[in-house]
Amino acid sequence: MSSQHQQITGNINSFNFNNIVNFITEIDAEGHQILQWLSPLEPQQRHQSVRTDRLDGVGNWVLETTEFTKWRDAKDGSVVPVLFCYGNPGVGKTYVR
Amino acid sequence: MNSSLVVDNLCDQAGGKEVAIVGLYCDFLAQEEQSTTNMLGAMLKQLVGRGGVPVHIREAFRKAKKEFGGRGLRLPDMVEILKKTVTLVPRVFICIDALDEPTPKHRRELLESLREIVRVSPNTRVFLTGRPHIDGEIGRSFTEVVKIPVSPTYADIKSYLEMRLDGDTDPNAMDDELRADIMRIIPEKISEM
Repeated sequence: MSSQHQQITGNINSFNFNNIVNFITEIDAEGHQILQWLSPLEPQQRHQSVRTDRLDGVGNWVLETTEFTKWRDAKDGSVVPVLFCYGNPGVGKTYVR
Repeated sequence: MNSSLVVDNLCDQAGGKEVAIVGLYCDFLAQEEQSTTNMLGAMLKQLVGRGGVPVHIREAFRKAKKEFGGRGLRLPDMVEILKKTVTLVPRVFICIDALDEPTPKHRRELLESLREIVRVSPNTRVFLTGRPHIDGEIGRSFTEVVKIPVSPTYADIKSYLEMRLDGDTDPNAMDDELRADIMRIIPEKISEM
């Protein structure tokens, strides 16, 4: 295959590619701006770091309480919607010990 | 307790197209950045993150850009937009970790905003963690709250240990004396903390 042909193919590819990218970025640009505008905070990143630090198996008992499972599983307004887990610093509320 | 574990559990057990799970981690050191508006905005970001930005948010953004040079939303407008967005999702779980860490003002505003959300979308579930002293403040926004103490009591620790020892995959490594020591010493030490 000639190098010229490859070059043309490459151009066509990049042409198409650029078109698609421009199109998507145009839609995404506003969406991205909107997310930034809504808040500078990035709580999902924090969740990732908390999750990575967490010891496995620690705190699972909370997830097995009837208070928790009822709160989680009831699909209507029949349960109290607010669950408050309280404790003093260092007892692992973030990691649920 | 906690939030990160609860968020993961919800994703596994309750997750799906009809469910949105929102997690927020309050931090004393970030009090300034974690204004109520920013925190509510962070919830919104998670709600719209997957499915694209709903029209009413897009319109609010365009309006803010045109009329106010892109200024951020003010709290009442943010609450309205959040309420409207929550109604678009059949089930929303909001998990807020360390609610004792924001300033009292932010906490009050946050709780009042949550109250508004739950009022218009009674199917919303709110999971909060924090030190015991904020209980009264939560009670001012929500007449009914289910509470789970995280600080382990002596009995909690004992039952937890029993459960773990009974589930030991290598029971031959255990004898009665060691078991008795574990059951005596560990709860004592933890209770002293």
